[in-house]
Amino acid sequence: MRLPKFAYFAPRTVEEALNLLADHGEGARVMAGGTDVMVKMIHGLLKPTAIISLLEIEELRGIHFDAKDGLTIGATAPLADTASHPDIVKYYPALVHAIRSMANVEVRNMGTVAGNICNAAPSADTAPPLMVMNGEVNLASLKGQRRLSLNEFFRGPGVTNMIHGEILTSIHVPPPLPKSGVSYQRISARCGVDIAAVGVGVGIVLAGEACKDAKIVLGAVAPVPMRALETEELVQGRERAQELLGQAGDRAAQEARPISDMRASASWRRKMTAVLTRRALDEAFERASRR
Amino acid sequence: MKHQIRFTVNGDEYVVAVDPRRTLNEVLRDDLNLTGTKLGCGTGDCGACTVIVEDRTVSSCLTLAVSVNGKAVRTVEGLAPSGEELHPIQEAFVKTGAIQCGFCTSGMEMAAAHLLSRNPSPGEEEIRAGLSGHLCRCTGYNQIVEAVSVAAEAMRNSKTEEVKG
Amino acid sequence: MKRFSIIGKDVPRTDAATKARGSAIYTDDMKLPGMLHGRLLRSPFAHALIKHIDTSKAASLPGVKCVITAEDTPKIKYGNWRLFPETQDEYALAVEKVRFIGDEVAAVCAIDKDTAEEALDLIEVEYEDLPAVFDVASSMQPGAPVIHDYCPTNISVNRKIKYGDVEKGFADSDYVREDVFTVHGVSHAYLEPCSALAQVDLDGRITLWTSTQVPYIVQCLLASTLGMRENDIRVIKPYVGGGFGGKMELRAWEFCAALMAKMTGRPVKFTLSREEEFLAGRRRHPMTIHSKVGFRKDGTLTAKDLKIRLDGGAYNAMGPTATFLCGNFGAMLYRYPNYRFHGEHVYTNKPPASAMRGFGAPQSLYATEIQMNIAAEALGIDPVDLRIKNAQVSGDEIPDVAVISSCGFVESIKAVAEMSEWKEKRKNLKPGHGIGIGCYSFISGGVFNWFNTQYPFSAAEVRVFSDGTAHLLSMASDIGQGSDTVLKQILAEELGLRMEDIRITVADTSMTPQADLGAWGSRVTLMAGNAVIDAARKIKEQIFGSVSARFNLNVIHELECKDGRVQSKVKSDYGLSFGEAVAMAQKANRGEPIVARGSYTPRDKGLVTPAFGFGAQVAEVEVDRETGLVEVKHMWTAHDCGTVINPRSVEGQLAGSIQMGLGYALSEQFVMDGGKTLNTNFADYKMPMATDMPPSDVVHIDTYEPEGPMGAKEAGEGLASPTAPAISDAVYHAVGYRCMDLPITPEKILEDLEKMSETGDKQA
Repeated sequence: MRLPKFAYFAPRTVEEALNLLADHGEGARVMAGGTDVMVKMIHGLLKPTAIISLLEIEELRGIHFDAKDGLTIGATAPLADTASHPDIVKYYPALVHAIRSMANVEVRNMGTVAGNICNAAPSADTAPPLMVMNGEVNLASLKGQRRLSLNEFFRGPGVTNMIHGEILTSIHVPPPLPKSGVSYQRISARCGVDIAAVGVGVGIVLAGEACKDAKIVLGAVAPVPMRALETEELVQGRERAQELLGQAGDRAAQEARPISDMRASASWRRKMTAVLTRRALDEAFERASRR
Repeated sequence: MKHQIRFTVNGDEYVVAVDPRRTLNEVLRDDLNLTGTKLGCGTGDCGACTVIVEDRTVSSCLTLAVSVNGKAVRTVEGLAPSGEELHPIQEAFVKTGAIQCGFCTSGMEMAAAHLLSRNPSPGEEEIRAGLSGHLCRCTGYNQIVEAVSVAAEAMRNSKTEEVKG
Repeated sequence: MKRFSIIGKDVPRTDAATKARGSAIYTDDMKLPGMLHGRLLRSPFAHALIKHIDTSKAASLPGVKCVITAEDTPKIKYGNWRLFPETQDEYALAVEKVRFIGDEVAAVCAIDKDTAEEALDLIEVEYEDLPAVFDVASSMQPGAPVIHDYCPTNISVNRKIKYGDVEKGFADSDYVREDVFTVHGVSHAYLEPCSALAQVDLDGRITLWTSTQVPYIVQCLLASTLGMRENDIRVIKPYVGGGFGGKMELRAWEFCAALMAKMTGRPVKFTLSREEEFLAGRRRHPMTIHSKVGFRKDGTLTAKDLKIRLDGGAYNAMGPTATFLCGNFGAMLYRYPNYRFHGEHVYTNKPPASAMRGFGAPQSLYATEIQMNIAAEALGIDPVDLRIKNAQVSGDEIPDVAVISSCGFVESIKAVAEMSEWKEKRKNLKPGHGIGIGCYSFISGGVFNWFNTQYPFSAAEVRVFSDGTAHLLSMASDIGQGSDTVLKQILAEELGLRMEDIRITVADTSMTPQADLGAWGSRVTLMAGNAVIDAARKIKEQIFGSVSARFNLNVIHELECKDGRVQSKVKSDYGLSFGEAVAMAQKANRGEPIVARGSYTPRDKGLVTPAFGFGAQVAEVEVDRETGLVEVKHMWTAHDCGTVINPRSVEGQLAGSIQMGLGYALSEQFVMDGGKTLNTNFADYKMPMATDMPPSDVVHIDTYEPEGPMGAKEAGEGLASPTAPAISDAVYHAVGYRCMDLPITPEKILEDLEKMSETGDKQA
């Protein structure tokens, strides 16, 4: 399908972008790398009247890390830069793993973490690791700024709690706590670079040998990347053991609400939720014990 | 409304008036007659349309032409130094049998150029990862992987033209 | 064995440098002054009557130059089986009804692509939805919706083969095994979407550049469907970005480009989108294979009874040939003293299946090979030994199916078993690992002439010049497999020239000699190669005389073309350079150019093929018992393609067929919702990528095919068959899951493992 007709703007400041967004009403669409927006337009799923590109806004491009404030990933920082950033490689390996398993080199060169989040696919690979690391999004609008936890960000497939007129300017992740470990495991039923059929993020913090805080997020098994709250509760206070891993996997599989689609059946997705939760929890314990 | 964009392709400057919905792929192929860049799927899934914008490979089918205003684009036509000589990557593709139908070739070569600009001595796994997402239906990839490795060695040895990527 | 100077060498492909530069011109790269852009309107219904089409709004959109429906066409059906006109069941644009989602209904052309696309939305079609059938069983039910009026049973082709006494064979058996296999459809997924560009010249004749494997067939069928004469159509094949059987018929866009070029007086180009390719494109036949096979205790085969139903989709396309061939392939590889085959080609309301690499063999041989493994286990015989015991050998004949001249099958099995350390690994692999074998045989072109050509199957013209060069003209189609290079190698070898001494002009129906049936069924090397040799020998006849006269040679001297010279074979200083010899011959002929035409048509070679390739493949896999994911760790291949003309090309084809076989076994499939193809892009149609390919080793078995050019025969296409059964058998060896319904998916493996653990069944 051919692309629809739209007006194109490449503002240089966030303020300019916000004004354009306000001026062009509901039909306006913000775009960063374009890898999702373009594909949706090509498939006729999105017909914006105006595209506002963020690529020329200098301040949105950066990636910053410091041990106190944590990590900030600008809205237009490419996935490739994010995955190769030395601090991210060192402190946020689960995010790196998520990005490296996504798409191909070109899409990683063009696409952004912010775009992956805003696209709000249930299978978005960066969502589970970011959510278990208590990631937040910074949203700007003409009324000001707000910060929203990623836990409250997704509403449904392709739908978020952003209000029209808002632009996601960056993603923030707190610095990793001592004795914390994060893992992201994903699987596709087929070979190659593929959209995840299931993805599981686990983040835990240890007190001694026991888990004092656990966050578990399941991707592609519900309309949004979902917290497995019961599984988290189950893990709470427990030590690493085969028995626990098995129980956690089973509980997560019960919590999952997968559907069957052309990529995988609901029943396989449920089984994989158990397997990946087990594996991710094991790796998270392992990483936490080393920090 | 058309936008006037100014950009370079393989060092040549072009000024083109484009509708915002034109992709870089269309402008290269239809307006500039640079048809070495192919269109295999139109959705960024096959790699045949890969070009280098500034310092990195992109899918030209997912890149709006308006977005390359002021930028430097490199296509397969910009690899060879002259009509008589080939770029070491092209040379290696020819020599190793990495080319059958040839439709994926320019995308593969651009991916190889990008990879080698960042990693002059990639191992086999790194090459495969660097080409992943580039589909080929003829070769089974093995000879393409070999070509990239042969090219890397040739480029390391001669240090002729620096791939600016 | 003969010593060659260019045959068997890693000569770089003649088109490689231009492709490496990006300067090779494919159809969609072409642009002509005034060119219009065409688009096709496709049916959203799987089966429906067309009540009314209103094109007026589309036609009045500014920039639209032409809108056509079937009413604007001569309504002449086409199909590749011209010998049996009733099988020609397809119109370029649907007449009265549509039969699958994606069936072409109307076409527009406009000054640019956007306008053409916009115009499509303005065509109003009123359909009356009809009941539809999407699987073979429903389509064969009494009272099922009739898809073509001429064919009330929906079974368009029946093919039977019978020799020996199958019942008696089973009665004499100690072990009889009966299974039903289902195999699925997959896409050719050539990287270059189909494209065609038509231009009308001053006389009203048409030139069509098109991405095709069969320029001559397109020329003939385009002429007949337009009501024109063959010579009024010129078809040129530019560089083609792969075909694999998917570009070997006349197609709607080729017809529409030509007709609309005539109607508008302007060049018209159609290029399909990838979405169209997946939604409506040809595909490999899904089949239901009912196979019964008998053995004696010692493993000797006694009989085989094979029934195959092909899910043909809405039109015959190349289905009749596939129906014929899958029965032939069912009789290949092993010596079945008694054999019976019944193949039925069944219409359904799905996109038509057609020829695809292997052409019936991957499906048929999947059943053959899996059953061999099942039988081997039941009989307590190693699968390799069971195969060797029953393997076909040189000199074997199968009535109506095969006369096997050269055959390196046993050697292939032995070589692959040795390379892979089969015996050792079959016993001692780590848990979750498995090793399996699959074999193939394939044709080197078809003898059958259902196209009913009046010309030789392949032809070549060779012109030689006093500057020491030659010009080869051939209608053979290089679609990426490298046939231009191979034909040049053969000519260079025969004339003692270098590759750079030969210019080649190919695949232009008005310039290259009539005719060539195209690039399919692995026919080009053998058939076009033989035609080239025939022409080259006639050239030699013309120039040898002048050398003989010049040196006053005794008539018993044999002459040869070698190293750029024409000389006495025993005394090479009695000779001239090739160019000098040509000059002398030309002088002797008072200026007449030295030109020769050669041809090849298989005669007295049975009904199927002049020569068979053979081979065997072993796969090692690791299966994750928790996820069901299969990782192919290694592939070993030993194959017999006769003389290897270009080793790198053969190895490249082989690796390519492993990629395709891997996809067929594990990841590729059309996900259908009734008649609708859901996965219409490469994100959801999963082809193996560079990271998915296993390491692979290969051995060429040395044989010499007497019917082949310089001893060569089929290479690379037969290898589409063994990969899936080898992987499948390895998966069984690893975890005990026996796949009877391709593809092998993690879900199926896990379900099976669960069932086994419930029943406490085999765990390998």
